[in-house]
Amino acid sequence: MIKITALEKIYRTDEVETIALNKLSMDIKKGEFVAVMGPSGCGKSTLLNILGLLDDPDAGSFVFNDTEIAHFNERQRADLRKHNIGFVFQSFNLIDELTVFENVELPLIYTGVKPSERKKKVEEVLEKVQIMHRRNHYPQQLSGGQQQRVAVARAVVNNPKLILADEPTGNLDSSNGNEVMELLTNMNEQGTTIIMVTHSEHDARYSHRIIRMLDGQTVTENILV
Amino acid sequence: MLKNFVKIAIRNLLRSKGFSVINILGLAVGMASAILILLWIQNEMSYDQFHEKKDRIVEVWNKATFDGNLNCWNTTPKVLARTLERDFPEVEQSVRVDWNNDHLFSVGEKRITLKGSPVDSNFFQVFSFRLLKGQTNTVLNDQHNIVLTESTARKLFGDEEPMGKIIKLDNSDNFTVTGIVKDLPNNTRFNFEYLLPWSYVRFKGNDDNNWGNNSTRTYALLKPGINLEGLQKKLKTLKQKYQPEETKWEMFVYPITKWRLYSSFKNGVEDGGRIVFVRLFGIIACFILLIACINFMNLSTARSEKRAKEVGIRKVVGAHKNSLILQFIGESILLAFIAGIIALLIVQLALPGFNTLTSKQLYIQYNNILFWLTGLGFIALTGIVAGSYPAFYLSSFQPVSVLKGTFKKAHALVTPRKILVVLQFTFAIILIICTIIVKQQINYAQNRESGYNKDNLVFHFLTGDLEKNYNLVKNDLLASNAAVSVTKTSAPLTQSWSDGWGQEWEGKDPNDKTDFRRYNADQDLVKTIGLTLVKGRDFNLKEYPTDSTAMMINESALKVFKFKEPLGQIIKDNGRQWHIVGVFKDFILESPYQPTRPMLVYGLKSNWFGVVQIKLNGKNKTEANLKTAEAIFKKYNPEYPFEYKFVDEDYAKKFESEQTTGKLSGIFSVLTIFISCLGLFGLATYMAENRIKEIGIRKVLGASVTHITALLSRDFFILILISFAIASPISWWFMHNWLMGYPYRTDIELWVFLLAAGLSFFIAFISVSSQSIKAAMANPVKSLRTE
Repeated sequence: MIKITALEKIYRTDEVETIALNKLSMDIKKGEFVAVMGPSGCGKSTLLNILGLLDDPDAGSFVFNDTEIAHFNERQRADLRKHNIGFVFQSFNLIDELTVFENVELPLIYTGVKPSERKKKVEEVLEKVQIMHRRNHYPQQLSGGQQQRVAVARAVVNNPKLILADEPTGNLDSSNGNEVMELLTNMNEQGTTIIMVTHSEHDARYSHRIIRMLDGQTVTENILV
Repeated sequence: MLKNFVKIAIRNLLRSKGFSVINILGLAVGMASAILILLWIQNEMSYDQFHEKKDRIVEVWNKATFDGNLNCWNTTPKVLARTLERDFPEVEQSVRVDWNNDHLFSVGEKRITLKGSPVDSNFFQVFSFRLLKGQTNTVLNDQHNIVLTESTARKLFGDEEPMGKIIKLDNSDNFTVTGIVKDLPNNTRFNFEYLLPWSYVRFKGNDDNNWGNNSTRTYALLKPGINLEGLQKKLKTLKQKYQPEETKWEMFVYPITKWRLYSSFKNGVEDGGRIVFVRLFGIIACFILLIACINFMNLSTARSEKRAKEVGIRKVVGAHKNSLILQFIGESILLAFIAGIIALLIVQLALPGFNTLTSKQLYIQYNNILFWLTGLGFIALTGIVAGSYPAFYLSSFQPVSVLKGTFKKAHALVTPRKILVVLQFTFAIILIICTIIVKQQINYAQNRESGYNKDNLVFHFLTGDLEKNYNLVKNDLLASNAAVSVTKTSAPLTQSWSDGWGQEWEGKDPNDKTDFRRYNADQDLVKTIGLTLVKGRDFNLKEYPTDSTAMMINESALKVFKFKEPLGQIIKDNGRQWHIVGVFKDFILESPYQPTRPMLVYGLKSNWFGVVQIKLNGKNKTEANLKTAEAIFKKYNPEYPFEYKFVDEDYAKKFESEQTTGKLSGIFSVLTIFISCLGLFGLATYMAENRIKEIGIRKVLGASVTHITALLSRDFFILILISFAIASPISWWFMHNWLMGYPYRTDIELWVFLLAAGLSFFIAFISVSSQSIKAAMANPVKSLRTE
């Protein structure tokens, strides 16, 4: 599903040049659940941003579903993203001014789904993450775990082929964290490919494969399943 | 999608109420000012544009050289109208409209003085004033027909049917009401309360065929499809045809569509006219609106961080940049819409005051679909202008940096925002300086010595029998002790009604063509109005019976005559010899902004008087004096109302137009400052909020409240300093040019600029400091703990 080859990303400020990704290559198959681990600054988040089409690589190839997309423009990337990729962030990133229902509905609006169908889909996915009873609440009124469940719901409501999760349990206590991980596993079992960046060995064990990174390169891969 | 946008917009509005209020209020005030000015402009542009035949109606003007100046003016011989119809196939018909005159109307016991004018009977066929009653073609056919406006009819007859009723004019002639015309709209040059037929002028023996007597206005309705240039060419020689000696006197026609805004001539060419004001006001309206929009941009972009996350998320879930731009512009249109409604309210409340100030009757045409369409367009435009910059700014955020929290906070004012604040304050400071200088110029002219004593001085026109009974009135006034001195003059003290050259005197340079102001007076002129005599004495017929051919002159006239000893010198004028008995200090007869002109005051034999001047007795109460005077006037002039005027009030009218300019620029500067301060306040609040952690750390490290307040206010003061540096030369240039139009003018002094600078700093300080101090006083533990 995803094949990246010799991917490079370099951040430059006036004085410092930081190599975030150093000729990185990897291959991720459809339906896989992959955890990316490594110390801070090893390039995990950069990788996730590029995989999520939020950022451009400086060099290398990125093939998504057999299409080379390394040089897509912003509009093309946005189109590809909204139909194929869902995001889960460490800090949830829900819109404070929208209710739970409206937050989850947002991706459907941008993909042009009809209102009646939107309602059905949102309710379905809210049931799935067991947050239906809170549908009319605002994010501030929810606990962290609940907020992250909403974020997961938002990530999957469009039936994306790929979910990118950036330390999804980083701001949660362990029981809430486990709930979210169960949820992701569930999604994966239903066929969604998941790439998750994490610091937590515990969480990583939910995945099929752990990729460990250092200084912008992969160092080891552990196959768990 | 739209629903989602509106929801977000409204929730955002409610969430940050303070910002919303500042934003909307600023925008509303700006819009209200712009609407008021636009109403004024629309009114000015629509003058006499409602006539159905406006494309074919013209007015006849003269162009001729006097005193070395090529003048253009619009009084024409009475004989011109019929001549045009006869000699020019291009002219369909021609109408004379005489100048307005006061006439006394008597209906039963009612006595009212009303102003109106005689017109040719085809008046209603040319001009589109709607006749509610009467026939367009016949309404003024008989010499004793009269057409009243609706409200005149109501004044005279109340609710009774006015048609066919009889009105007595000036106690002499009876008129039958044959037509009622709808009250004149507020955008026409005509302002009659009734119309008389021209045949009445003939009946009174006031019509003439004299080509040398320019005394009325002549309009013409051209046939359709007439080439104006061809007609102009033929008109050039018309005057010469009937007055062969006038070889250089040309006539031309001026189209109705240009009357109001362009009919100002200098040396024979158009030189602006009211269109200059219309443009200036238009620019001011745009600027005020722009300033309000700038506020909006500033506040919206300052709050960008609060919206940054939303932008990031929307982008992550697939929003295109365009859809975000659309969303933010939509939001600002929504805000503009709310502001527009508030603005309409403000306009409705402010209109009466604005109308008084501008002497207009402006109103909003709520039942006009065009008004609503324009209004919506105006709101949309404002929304788009105000929302454009924030929309592009916000929608360009990169989701990665926003969502990962690496988004750089705006610690200092960002450059475009700085420019916007500078722009606002530049405009505000320019307006402050202009207002001060306009006021200064008015004060300067007001403080100028008028040359006579206006205290307790009233005047009354010699209406009805007053001239005949003048001596009786005078004697009674003096005997009753209501007045200490009375005289009669040809004109009010505030107007020049007559001037001319060609007087003869000893030692006159044959080439001298000095134009003297001519003024007639009975005895006691100096005593009554309090002139300062430099030489000689007042007119005094009791002691010097020959004073009926005496003359007094002002000092400027003496300079022209160059007499070593003026008293006793003979001035020949109009076949009569006048001997000079007195020289007085120049007094201001015309504009207080112009130098005084040489002036001759002719004695009683001049035989033309229009005004009685009364110096009331200062020992009595003015009301008591006036009551006594009224009784005396009633006794000798029973049919006419007692309509006195105070000379000082009349004199004050000379300043009205400048005072209006001053008031308007004052109001605009207050509004501009208000809007700019709202913006400044908002920005300061935001900055204080954003630097709360920095302030906390500084305080922990030992910074004092004063230190922090200064730190937070400094940025703003630098901006104001820059604005001041830009505004000063611009306003100096602007005011310098304005003052050049006044020969008698004040200087532009340094303190004006210093005052403006001080004022703007003070205002900015008030807007900014409360927030800075609040931030500086906050407990650092609180702000640091939340991080």
